[in-house]
Amino acid sequence: MKFSLNATALLMLAFSLPAMATEPATSADVGKLVYERANCVGCHKWSGVGGGGYGGAALSLRATSLDKEQIEEIVTCGRPTTGMPHFTNDSYKDGKCYGMSEDDVKDIMPPAANVVLRRREIDEVADYVIANIKGKGEPGLSDCVAYFGDTSRVCDIYRPKPAGASRHAMPTPSTTGQ
Amino acid sequence: MTMTSRSFKRLRLLAGVAAISMMIAGPGRAADEVTAARLLGANQEQGNWLLHHKDYGAHRFSELNQINKDTVKNLHVAFTMSLGGVEGGGIWTHGGLEATPLAENGFLFFTDGWGSVYKVDTHGGHGKLVWKMDPKTDHDWAGAVACCGVDNRGVALWNNMVVSHTLDGRLIATDKETGKVAWQRQVADPDKGEAVTGAPLVVKNLAITGVAGGEYGIRGWLAATDLTTQKEVWRTYTIPEGEEAMASWGGPNNAAASGGGPTWVTGSYDPASNTLFWGTGNPGPDWNNQYRPGDNLHTDSTIALDLDTGKMKWAFQHTPNDPFDYDSVAENVLVDVPGANGAPPRKLALEADRNGIAYAVERDTGKFAWAVPFVKQLTWTAGIDPVTGKPKEYDPKKQVQVYNVSATPSEQNPVAIICPGNMGGKNWPPTAFNPVSNTWYIPVIESCNKITVKAEPSQNKPRDWFTGGGPSASQRITGSVTAIDATTGKVTGKHETPYPMLGGMLATPDLVFAGAPDGEMFALDAKTLDKLWSFPTGGGLNAPPMTFTVDGKQYIAVLVGLGGAWDKWFIDSTPDLKNIEPGSMLYVFAL
Repeated sequence: MKFSLNATALLMLAFSLPAMATEPATSADVGKLVYERANCVGCHKWSGVGGGGYGGAALSLRATSLDKEQIEEIVTCGRPTTGMPHFTNDSYKDGKCYGMSEDDVKDIMPPAANVVLRRREIDEVADYVIANIKGKGEPGLSDCVAYFGDTSRVCDIYRPKPAGASRHAMPTPSTTGQ
Repeated sequence: MTMTSRSFKRLRLLAGVAAISMMIAGPGRAADEVTAARLLGANQEQGNWLLHHKDYGAHRFSELNQINKDTVKNLHVAFTMSLGGVEGGGIWTHGGLEATPLAENGFLFFTDGWGSVYKVDTHGGHGKLVWKMDPKTDHDWAGAVACCGVDNRGVALWNNMVVSHTLDGRLIATDKETGKVAWQRQVADPDKGEAVTGAPLVVKNLAITGVAGGEYGIRGWLAATDLTTQKEVWRTYTIPEGEEAMASWGGPNNAAASGGGPTWVTGSYDPASNTLFWGTGNPGPDWNNQYRPGDNLHTDSTIALDLDTGKMKWAFQHTPNDPFDYDSVAENVLVDVPGANGAPPRKLALEADRNGIAYAVERDTGKFAWAVPFVKQLTWTAGIDPVTGKPKEYDPKKQVQVYNVSATPSEQNPVAIICPGNMGGKNWPPTAFNPVSNTWYIPVIESCNKITVKAEPSQNKPRDWFTGGGPSASQRITGSVTAIDATTGKVTGKHETPYPMLGGMLATPDLVFAGAPDGEMFALDAKTLDKLWSFPTGGGLNAPPMTFTVDGKQYIAVLVGLGGAWDKWFIDSTPDLKNIEPGSMLYVFAL
């Protein structure tokens, strides 16, 4: 009797424990992975501030006034006469890009990105930019740690500088082989 | 003096012990210390390659000639090895390979782009990894402020250590036998936008570190670490505060504080005068010289420093108040050449500059000797004044220099086509010098590109890009191997190539070797520059070849792994190369 009472108690306990799983990822969460995989970081930087690069100055996504639909169009179509690439294969085939045909963009075709994105992924990365980057002002420590976590020194410049050491020690090398 | 029978017995005993301990030690374990003396005498060990540029004079010339113009047609792959470091970080999607392997008694030592050090045993003509040291470079921290690729150009050897850098600014000493790290220190500060991509230069007990970051508003320097104490013994800023040179930084922007002058290519050393020769890079912001009126000393210069103190002995500037991004970081090749037409011999330092012009200065004094363009297209200047060594348009009375007006980018001329392109007629890939024929071989980028000027805010923020605009493609870029006679200062040959030369040269008695970015490894006749051999490695080849022997047999080794700045920033000018995939391989060739 005692045994079955304990078993019941255990079962009740199991059902009352909080769920281990978190809420399902939002479109914006997934969009961050697209932002990295499509190398938006490479020109717009992790924070979306953009700025200079050998390939030309990428616009600031933090300062942008573009809405979601416009962002999606730009990712799909690139921006003619600039280094902003287009991320789909059929960008100019049906007039959906700025109403321009392939003939219209012949001499000013933006570069093709190395990564091809699906419609859903373009939707996700646009959600990510709208939710986490657009209108957010100067990037700061919390933005940086939210993006990178805390195992790198990449967010150190946002911390007040104590005299001397970083909060991180130098990485510890490892050796494989003999 | 006769030996007593007892001392004779002791001698035999000692000899026996010595023989046994050598047997126990075996070929892989002999403690071959790479002493300061061996480094000075590196050219006495022609089967080895103990220094980054082969010798302190940076000749990259080997006397080995089993592989020669008659046998090279039989050169083939002996073995390959797959390496790591391909993952991306910061603004880079992948790492790449730019290192020159070192060779000592059949062991190769080199780095991948993130700074892992590999020791490979090549005995028996195949490669076996002995150990790999991974420094766990902070990918995000360093990768965000590396302008031009995830790259590491190699290691140095010192006593029983392998000395290396990391992109995130460390100097590391690793035990050569075990691969375990003995110590490390932070030399550069990525919080200031600094990174380290060059190989250390070790002279006596000092490791010399150069810094990268001219696009991030750093203030450049060279630092010397004493390898016996692990302490920094001197740091010399290329833009020296408190000195006369500061008068060459005018205007209201305090431009010197973020003036650039980086030092990211390994320099050379003359033991006779105990002098280091190093190249300094562009002033910042790269394309807005009105932001920083004045000559901007000592950017775009060759500087000569006393090894022990780091004090500057002389400096020669190539492009004052540079509006083009024409770094002078290139290696200075130290050569002694007979004088032309019976004149006395000259002790020169040669530098193939980004500005498309090859310079020779007298290395004991810094006095200009000669200059000659080595590129097909040169539009920024009408030429170099034969007395001063400065561009003919240079006016020391002007604060802001305008060279050829239409080819000088400025706020008034905000879109300009420049030749050579900003990446230069030669970039970091090293030249090679044959001291028998006095021929100097340059890996050339035959280029023009377009510069668009954009004003910068008055102060740069740490880790922010700070260039005053940027380049874009204006035409297809090709390449060449161009030969110069160092005695006469004249171009004597040019072997044109379909792609820019992004890897570097190796010279042997009758051949020169180089690799092209489409993966083609090739050998040219050293005199005629005719192509005698090639092999398609099938990857992005942007590293220098080297040669060595093991068990008396000669090999050529090169690293193959798409890297550097090209595939991210300049690919539009070589559209054929867009299909090259990242990779990471060691290739070793033999007859």
